[in-house]
Amino acid sequence: MSTASSSSSNYEYVTARTRSRKARLFDEDDYRQLTRMGTGEIARFMEESEYDEEMNDLAARYSGVDLIEFALNRNRAKHFDDLLRWADGPLHDYIARYLRRFDAWNVKTAIRGLSSGAARDEIESDLVRTGELSESRTDRLLDANSVEEVVEVLDGTRFGPALDDAVDEYEESASLVPLENALDRAYYRSLLSDMPAETDRATELYVEFLRAEVDFRNLRNALRLARSGSSVDPGEYYIDGGRLFSADELGSLAENTNELIARLRNGVYGERLSGALDELEEADSLIGFERALEEVLLAYSNRLSQLYPLSVCPVFAYVLEKEREVRNVRAIARGREAGLDPDEIEAELVIL
Amino acid sequence: MAQDVKPTRKELMEIDDRIELSERGHDTLEQKRDGLIMEFMDILDQAKDVREQVDENYETAQRKLDLARAMEGDIAVRGAASALDEHPEITIQSKNIMGVVVPQIESSGVKKDLDQRGYGVMGTSARIDEAADAYEELLESIILAAEVETAMKEMLEEIETTKRRVNALEFKLLPELNEAKDYIEQKLEEQEREEIFRLKKIKAKKEEEERAAVEEEAETSGSTTEEPITADD
Repeated sequence: MSTASSSSSNYEYVTARTRSRKARLFDEDDYRQLTRMGTGEIARFMEESEYDEEMNDLAARYSGVDLIEFALNRNRAKHFDDLLRWADGPLHDYIARYLRRFDAWNVKTAIRGLSSGAARDEIESDLVRTGELSESRTDRLLDANSVEEVVEVLDGTRFGPALDDAVDEYEESASLVPLENALDRAYYRSLLSDMPAETDRATELYVEFLRAEVDFRNLRNALRLARSGSSVDPGEYYIDGGRLFSADELGSLAENTNELIARLRNGVYGERLSGALDELEEADSLIGFERALEEVLLAYSNRLSQLYPLSVCPVFAYVLEKEREVRNVRAIARGREAGLDPDEIEAELVIL
Repeated sequence: MAQDVKPTRKELMEIDDRIELSERGHDTLEQKRDGLIMEFMDILDQAKDVREQVDENYETAQRKLDLARAMEGDIAVRGAASALDEHPEITIQSKNIMGVVVPQIESSGVKKDLDQRGYGVMGTSARIDEAADAYEELLESIILAAEVETAMKEMLEEIETTKRRVNALEFKLLPELNEAKDYIEQKLEEQEREEIFRLKKIKAKKEEEERAAVEEEAETSGSTTEEPITADD
């Protein structure tokens, strides 16, 4: 939770530090070992790794898989905060705009907690304290007594106007959906708007990557809505900024999966998405398709980081890989706790 | 019981009526019991299927929830679950199966579209959708199981009650009534025999008295005819 400076980007420094952090991420062998461990062994393994500080700090409050999950979240927040701390100029902005997803997450957690009558401590334990919102504002979010107060606290932030527009609908429908969608939409809007004026090829590709992520998010949402049998037009959940579909096109294509797949195969991501599309064609479930999309994004960001080592791309690739690590370790721990088979868990992991 | 019964014709008639009524009741209850057992067997088959369905749906739902918690995190799943604001509603009505009132449970709002679940579509994933879908299906099968199993329980209680009534009629009331009837009949026959004997006795006595009277009269008339012999000579 730091602020951007007005200086130029310090790519050399940040990428060097990021490389060192990246080297400490778990590799494929670690995952293979972890999937065969019990939850106690996983916790021990984490105590002897990058996560030792968080594990020791939280051990008094949590135990078992909860301890692992909260340690993962706290460590991730620390690492992302470090990135923001190290980065200057436009690079800071590039990282910050991606990490705003955690701000959106924290606000959603606060309003869901208030709506379900959860205690302040419970809500606080679910927050991921990274992103742009200051500590004091986050604390004020936690102190809020109603959803309307949360909206007031966010007045003057990027989420303020979007929430102001959605709060009337929330009051009418008593449903959190308008607020949650407004937050996600505000996040995606801010992801691509007013990009810093750096026009090198690496930045262009980074922007392309973000647009691909928006396209994939649109695609996933449209398919989910179509498969749930909802009468809602997928166009209503359309996020601007992608380059593959317009809102109208997406709405009509979601109804016809074959046409959608054909369109995707012939589109800009056709080659990269071929595996994911095969998955979509073969399986009834969207889960495999979503996982394949994640793999595509991760592989793409890795490729960009190798092609442009002194740019935003390696930093961004590290952000994605750290995210993936958190998800994978959590998946292994929760999967083992639930008694899932190691091979079954391994099949669910996103490993490159 | 027989000792408490008054051995009168009126009582015998009343007992006959009660026996007839009890036998009719016994037949009816036996038919009801057999009918209930047949209905119960049908419901039992249905309950077995529904219970299997519940078990299967529970395993699927739990597995999907485990996977959603594993891949999306406990926080995300709890958040999505707590976002639900329109809870399902259950209406309980009743229906009659062979005189047994069983509940008929109707649910609304269990199955929800993606946009009705209360969580934002943009920030969640298909794993959470599938876990929610699976739990909605589980809830529907639990409601059906509640209806079928409650009906089964009610039927079972009714069968037990009917069986007890049939047994009470067959092994208690009817034998007692028949015993009382036999007792009264015996008593009445005995009374009849006594009456006949008494009548005979009276008749014999009467006949003896008449005979004695006739003899006395004859004697009296004999003495009067001998008296007119006088000494004329």
